[in-house]
This record gives sequence, structure tokens and C-alpha cells, in this order.
Amino acid sequence: MFLHILKYELKNGVRTKDLIIWLMVFPIVLGTFFKIAFGSVYNKTEKFSAIPVAVVEETGNPAFRQVLDGIESADEPFLKVTYADRAKAEELLDSGDVEGIISSADKLGLTVKQKGLAQTMLKSFVEQYTLREKIAMDAIQTSPEKAQEIISSLMSGTVSSCREIPLTQGNPDMYIQYFYNLIAMVAMFGCMTGMHVTMQNQANLSALGARNNCSPAPKLVTILACLTGSFILQTVCMLLCVTFLAFVLKVDFGDRLPLVYPAAILGGIMGVSFGFFVGSVSHMSQKTKTAVLMSASMLLCFLSGLMVGDLKGTIAQKAPWFNDINPAAVVSDSFYCLNIDEDYTRFITKLITMAVITVVFIMLGFIISRRKKYASV
Amino acid sequence: MEKNVVKINELVKRYGDLIALDHFSLEIKEGEVFGLLGPNGSGKTTTINCLLSLLAFDKGDIEIFGKKMTPVSYDIKKEIGVIMQNVAVFEELTVYENIDYFCGLYITDKAKRKQCVEEAIKFVGLEDFRKFYPKKLSGGLLRRLNIACGIAHKPKLIILDEPTVAVDPQSRNRILEGIQELNRSGATVIYTSHYMEEVEQICTRIAIMDKGRKVAEGTKDELKRMIKNTETITIEILELPDDVRREISGLPHVYDVRFDDSKLVIGCSGGKHNLTRVLDVLQKRELSFGRVYTELPTLNDVFLEITGKALRDKED
Repeated sequence: MFLHILKYELKNGVRTKDLIIWLMVFPIVLGTFFKIAFGSVYNKTEKFSAIPVAVVEETGNPAFRQVLDGIESADEPFLKVTYADRAKAEELLDSGDVEGIISSADKLGLTVKQKGLAQTMLKSFVEQYTLREKIAMDAIQTSPEKAQEIISSLMSGTVSSCREIPLTQGNPDMYIQYFYNLIAMVAMFGCMTGMHVTMQNQANLSALGARNNCSPAPKLVTILACLTGSFILQTVCMLLCVTFLAFVLKVDFGDRLPLVYPAAILGGIMGVSFGFFVGSVSHMSQKTKTAVLMSASMLLCFLSGLMVGDLKGTIAQKAPWFNDINPAAVVSDSFYCLNIDEDYTRFITKLITMAVITVVFIMLGFIISRRKKYASV
Repeated sequence: MEKNVVKINELVKRYGDLIALDHFSLEIKEGEVFGLLGPNGSGKTTTINCLLSLLAFDKGDIEIFGKKMTPVSYDIKKEIGVIMQNVAVFEELTVYENIDYFCGLYITDKAKRKQCVEEAIKFVGLEDFRKFYPKKLSGGLLRRLNIACGIAHKPKLIILDEPTVAVDPQSRNRILEGIQELNRSGATVIYTSHYMEEVEQICTRIAIMDKGRKVAEGTKDELKRMIKNTETITIEILELPDDVRREISGLPHVYDVRFDDSKLVIGCSGGKHNLTRVLDVLQKRELSFGRVYTELPTLNDVFLEITGKALRDKED
């Protein structure tokens, strides 16, 4: 009986236009739109890696010059240095040919004309060099015999720390976040299939529910079969979504793409279980429940920053626990961890959180739906 | 002695302050086509939902096939076919798939199920529509699909809750003939409706419900014998002098005379040759009249006399 119900649940799901639109067409259309909208910006950020800077050597500083040479000779140089006198440097800065002027004297100085990522990176570079130079000087005074070793170590450190080195092998570009948000949103849309399971099995929600309840099929079996069908459908949709983004739109998920798949699948299953739980709660009409579910999922997506980027940070400050139980936030966080963190600890924690939330939703849904008789039908 | 298939004892169901079923009792014998007749809101569907254990009730007992009916009485449910008032089919499954799905909840053997599905399709006359989706079917065909989904597994007890609502006359006749055929093949049928003609046509025994109570029960002849009216004579006449009216009122077996909108309506209770006597009076007074017809009492008359109101709602 389980397989019989599962077979028809899959057939029914595949042919349900609303589900196909929201779970397949929507991510394809919106993903394509994102790619078109952000494609040019994305290319621009890739060219951003070498920051043009003018260096004015007011007094000789061979150590600093050696560092700059080291940076420029790297495979992916962080700085594109132009040596010039003060007047020429200011001319280059005014014309926008360089992002800043580093003056090399007893102390390093930085002149910029505007605020921005390049200027912030230059400031960070100058501060780090100054700090490390001081550490080196102190070390030479206290342990002169180790001077060369300390200088080499610090120089290499300075060079590497000022490069655009991602912490992970993922793609930490800010625009990739839009695609992660899209996947998280599709995962949350799984709630619609979860709701469908409830509608089909509760006599007080639909005529179909009433007919199913009149049959000799045990409720546990029908709900389990329907949930399994919904999980399968959602999983296929998540796989197609990620595959389309990665291989058709060529969105760069870095070398962590294989891990994007399980996170997306688990997120989708959590979305289904969320819908199953909300659908099981209270006696409301199908339309009311659908409206409540859509509002709830949209609100959770909104609070998780899928629509307004800064909101999740604000919630993290004011009520950090909420982000840990908000399904939409957990899904998007898992992708965020995948991109930003070097190790997998937080990513795995997020996956476990998703699994726990899924189990809790399903169990609560079962407890509520197991009721056999209704006050009104 | 015929066995009881359904036994409802002192059933009480309340929705807040509203009493939907008020100590309602019923016994339905094997092989009957039992009609539950009553206006909208009289408690017919509530009775069916309680019977199927979908609805919790406040008091009373329900037995089906001699066993107490509970939500987990799967052995009882296996023998019941339900055709709900609202069409309950999957919009995204074809006619064949819908019937196969519901039949599969009762019959696990594939070969047997296939045969049952084919027979159900043939029974409701949907052979040419087996690959159609429900949204492509007309209202009548959709109702037939709804019925096929409920009877494909060949149940011993079939419960039909107003299956002909919003159905064209042709489909309605086909459905009613089908129900009688199912009964002839051995099924006990419970049929709820507020269409008295349907109930009169197919039901062997009838219970009339009003405000959650059973107001009368019996065969249609037994029910009709419960009331005073045995014959209603209607005569189209332009005018009716008072003395003529008084003379007609004084005729034997006449208990009610009304003249309204050029129609003389005479209610008779028992007796023979009532029409002849009335026409004699009119001819003697040389009053010309148009159409004359006489009607035997209907279930509506029964309901009217018992409850003081018409059976059908205005919109019907």
C-alpha cells in the first residue's frame, strides 16, 4: 500500500503546475535574471584584484621597496605600484589612475580621495606593514642574532596577508550570496508540498482528506508515503536548481559545489517538514492555511536576510537564538559557512541543525495529525 | 431474519450550542436502499460523517456489520464505499488513475484491482474518458467518476451523500439506475438527499430528518399513510362563489379547500370518487373550469404535514 500511495503521490506532484512553477521555473527564471543583472558587476570585481597605487619615496626605505617588489612579482599581485614624485602622484590620484598614494618616509603615510574597498585594503596593508616593521625592529634590538630570520618571516607574512586570499576554496564573492539566497528560498518553498500532504490526509481540510480517512489505509502509512513522495520531489527540484545554477548559468560555487548539494537537499526536506507541521496545526480552511504558510515562510525568509541583507546581522545582535531556529536562516547560514569558513565545523553544525528541525517538525506534525476524529468536517 | 448492517443508537452531536443530531437512532437492514431525507441542515451529512467515524460525537453508539465503528476499524472500512457530497478526486490524475488509486487503498492484489477498476469504469460509463483529467470532464461525468472511485472495490455497504447535486437529468437518471444495480448485486445502500423524487424512486425504506431528529421512518407507502392527505384535487377555475366553496367543503372526505390564483385545491382524506363528487357540484352550478388533475400524496406532503414546512429549500 505504501508503494501504491507513493507512486500516485509522485505522479500527482510532478503534474501539479503550481509546484513545478515555484520549485523549478521560479529558480531558473530568477537565477537567470540574477546572472544577467549581476554579471557585469561580477566581472568587474574579478578585475579588482590588483589595486593601482602610487608610491612616493620621500626617504629611502629599501625594506619597504623589497616588500613592494615581492608583492608585484607574485602570480596574482595585490598591488600595481607606480613610483612617482609627490606632484605626479597627486595628479594620478586626481585622475583616478591610482586608488591612493603611499608615502615612504620614516613612517608610511596613505593619501586617498574616497572611501571604498580598495582604499580599505590599502589602509590595512599600510597598517600591517607599520606594525610588522615595529615588531621586527623590536626583535632586532632584543635578539640581533635572529634578525634575518624574523625579518624574512614577517615579510612573507605581510605579503601573504595583504593578498586577496580566500579563507576557503569556495567563492566568497558577495554576489554569490544572491544565488545562495535563491537556493534557500526554493528550499523554503518546499513547505507548499508539505502542506499538500496535510491537506490530502486530514478529513477536516478537504474532500480528498475525508475520502482517504474513510479508507482502510492506516493514517501513518498514508502520511509517511505522501511525505516520502514530497521529499523525493523536493530533492529532485533542489538538485535541478543547483545543477542549473552551477552548470548552465556557470555560477562559481568554488570547489565546494559537492557540498552545496547536500545542504540544498536537506534544506528542501526541512522546508517540506515545515509545511507539514504548519498544515497540521489548528483547524483552518485550506485557503487560510495556505495564506498563513506563505506569510510565515516569507517572514522567515525576510528575517533571515534573504530579502534585506542587513536584517540577519541585526537579529544576530539582538536575538541570536532566533537565527539558530529560523529554518530559512539555517539554510542560508549553511551556505555562508561553506563559503567563508576554512573548516567544516560550522557547516556540519548547520546540517545537523537542519536535520534536528526536520525531525522535530515531522514528529510534531504526526502528533497533531494522528487525531482520528474531528470536531467538524 | 435480515441482519442489521448499520445500527445507530441515541446519537447526539453538538456544534457549540447548536444540536446537529438530537438522540438520533436508526437501523438499516442488509440489502436495503435506505434513504435519509431532509432539508439542508437537517443533519444528514453529520449522520454520515459520524457513521464513518470522521466526526466526533457527544453521545451514542454506532455499529456497522455488528461491530462498533471506530476510526481504526479497518476491517469494517474495507467493506464500505463512500461517495461524498463534494467531488473528491485528484485533479492531476486521469480518470483511470484516480479510480486505481482509491481502489488500491482497499485491494492490494494488482490483477484483481485492474479488473475492479475496469468494471467500475464500465459501470459508470466512462470508457471513453479513461485518460481524461477531471478538469476536462463535465459536472455529470465528474460525479460519475466520484462514484466510480467509491464503488470500484465492490463494497458491501455503499454510502452516497447527495451524489446528484448539480447534475443534469440524464446523468442523474444514470446515477440512480446505477445505485439500484449496485443494490441488486448485493450491496446495502444508504442514500441521503433532499430531492424527494430520487428517494421515492430508489429507496426501499426512508427516514425523514429535521433539525437533527428523525421525524418519521418507514417505506414510502407507510410514510404516506401516516398523514391525513390521500389525494389532492386541483381545478383551474376563474371564479368560486362562496356558497359553492362551502358546498365542496361539506363533501365527504374533503378536509381542506383553498382557492388562490384561479386554482381550486381540495385536500381529501381517504374515500373513493372524490373527484367525481367535486365535478358534479361545479357542473350543477354551471361553472366552467379548465384543467383538472389529481395527485397522490408525495414525501413533501408527508414532510409538510409532520414538520409544518416544505421539504425543499427555496433555492431548490
